[in-house]
Amino acid sequence: MQTSSKLKKVFIKKWVKGLEICCYSNKNMNAIERKKKIKLCADIALASAKNATTSWSNALIFEAKQDEESKILVNNLLGRRELKRFKPQNTNHHMIKYHKRVRSKKILKKSRSVSQRMKKMGPPKSNLAIFIAKRLVKKRTQVLKKLVPGGESMDELSLIREALDYILSLEVQVDVMRSVANATEVSIQSCLEILNVKQKIETCVLIGTYCRVLNYVKKSNG
Amino acid sequence: MAGDDEIEGGNRDEEQLHYNSANLPSDWPFNTSNDLTNTSMSMVTNPTIWDHHNTTSQNLGAFCDMNLQNNGPTSSSSLGFRKGNLVDVCWAPPNSAIKRGGGMFLPPPAAPMLPHSLSQFPTDSGFIERAARLSSFSVGNFEDMINPLGNAPESSLIPYSSRPVQGQPQEGFVGDGFKSPSGVNDESRPKQGGSGFSGNNSEGGGGQDENSNEGIGSKKRRRSDQDTEYNQTKRSPQTPNEAIKNNNEVQQKGDNNSNSVANKSSGKQGKQVSSDANKEEYIHVRARRGQATNSHSLAERVRREKISERMKFLQDLVPGCSKVTGKAVMLDEIINYVQSLQRQVEFLSMKLATVNPRMDFNLEGLLAKDMLESRGGPSGTLGFGPDMTMPSFNHSQMAINSHLMAIGGYKDHASNVPSSWDDELHNIVQMGLNSNTPIGSQNLGSAPPGHLKTEP
Repeated sequence: MQTSSKLKKVFIKKWVKGLEICCYSNKNMNAIERKKKIKLCADIALASAKNATTSWSNALIFEAKQDEESKILVNNLLGRRELKRFKPQNTNHHMIKYHKRVRSKKILKKSRSVSQRMKKMGPPKSNLAIFIAKRLVKKRTQVLKKLVPGGESMDELSLIREALDYILSLEVQVDVMRSVANATEVSIQSCLEILNVKQKIETCVLIGTYCRVLNYVKKSNG
Repeated sequence: MAGDDEIEGGNRDEEQLHYNSANLPSDWPFNTSNDLTNTSMSMVTNPTIWDHHNTTSQNLGAFCDMNLQNNGPTSSSSLGFRKGNLVDVCWAPPNSAIKRGGGMFLPPPAAPMLPHSLSQFPTDSGFIERAARLSSFSVGNFEDMINPLGNAPESSLIPYSSRPVQGQPQEGFVGDGFKSPSGVNDESRPKQGGSGFSGNNSEGGGGQDENSNEGIGSKKRRRSDQDTEYNQTKRSPQTPNEAIKNNNEVQQKGDNNSNSVANKSSGKQGKQVSSDANKEEYIHVRARRGQATNSHSLAERVRREKISERMKFLQDLVPGCSKVTGKAVMLDEIINYVQSLQRQVEFLSMKLATVNPRMDFNLEGLLAKDMLESRGGPSGTLGFGPDMTMPSFNHSQMAINSHLMAIGGYKDHASNVPSSWDDELHNIVQMGLNSNTPIGSQNLGSAPPGHLKTEP
């Protein structure tokens, strides 16, 4: 609880700051651009709120820096110290590709051996199940790697840990944004209600005024 | 690839899962091993269609079309967002895919659509979020999720994310729980053997059982207690666990990369098992009785246990996963959850963009009543004055006024209104006094139309 509320505070401050920077530059934006800016500010604020403790946040900021549009925002929003993030484990790409090749060969070998074994002694169900299960897991880890920012260059264990942290932060982000959206909406609705009330008051008042003036005019004439 | 062919046949359903994380009109992956009751699904709109198409997967294509047609006239306008996005989403389904709520998902509006009225938004977001969850979570959620549209949608969102996220117990949990992953596994809830969890004993796992028995509605709130409970129960059985399995030490050869990496990251949490680990690269594990003592297999086992341990954390985090066992399924749930959270962020940012045309967030005022605790320091107040004269009601001014009202409570402002009108009345009367009758009437004629145009 404590860390999440702390995170929320930091996130809000940074988010608002980022939005200020955004709005200052562009006065007129249509809805899509606004949405992109809002989301961008929120993402960067969230990632920077982590203070370089997690690798997904680093990766997120790194990606934002590569992008043309968001570069300015990132540079303005973050301090000097924080700007020195780099994509961690860049060198692992080669290793990973190599490992993939090796792994795929291993999978081939394994499947061949499995099939041979099955031919020999009838299909042992457990092996097949295990094999299928492993493939399922592998596919899903690949998907998860794409989802979590910076997940491509992580091994399974750290991937899961990063995913855990990422989920927590996403929940914080969604919480904050939803409460802001609700509050704005509520306030606008209450304003609309007041509008209705005001309109009624207006008309009554105007009628009263008119009558009074008419009376006065009559008096002055008569 | 002969072996692969046979396996391919069995895996056909799995092959057809599309995970498209980048695009908004995304595909909702199906999880064949989720058990969802059909009755709860039938509560969703178009119950007849649901019942009919319960078990046929081939009809999904037709089902999609039918759903398109049916949803058109009957649904609320919130479904009007679709705009042909559903065509992208008619995926090829696995067997019992329809149970997962195929027709109910809605990709968040890819095209910016201004709502006809602001009141649409809560229903839409709630609806979409519910639809997002329909596809991936277990039965316990359904009563919360299946709500008539527009009926307190926010309450249905509570299972997910409007509850205060309990970061600390979980983070403490993460930190502590990594201490001896191999020891912890004994505590797991009863797991069936299967994808990689074959090594776990089932030991009572009190915290987890409670988790699974509770309604999802209260799961998150109690999670902090349970987590601390879980923490304690974790540490306490460690000594008996050590007695059971992990007392002995077998040196692992350092050639297992993942282990060394993992150990560097989690080794500092101190595997209590390897109390006398001289070098950090070694994980000391004893071979269990009847298992291979090959160093590779041992390393594999340790790695697997670590992974399963972290999966457990994630299981606590991701709602609705307490009953789910197995790595693949868990990963699937996690993927779904992350995707849904990301979509929510997109949707909320879109909502904020449309609601706030000038992107001015007076967060102090907006969130004063909300659940955030004391926030020190001013947030960005972007220079609104207390603008109380309200003859012109354009949208931006409404936004400003709304923010101020959120601060002050609108009763006061309502009482202020007549006073401002009184001032204008005085002006009008004075004009009438100072000038002749025809001029006075002219003034009167000019003044009201400006106000009367706001009449309903």
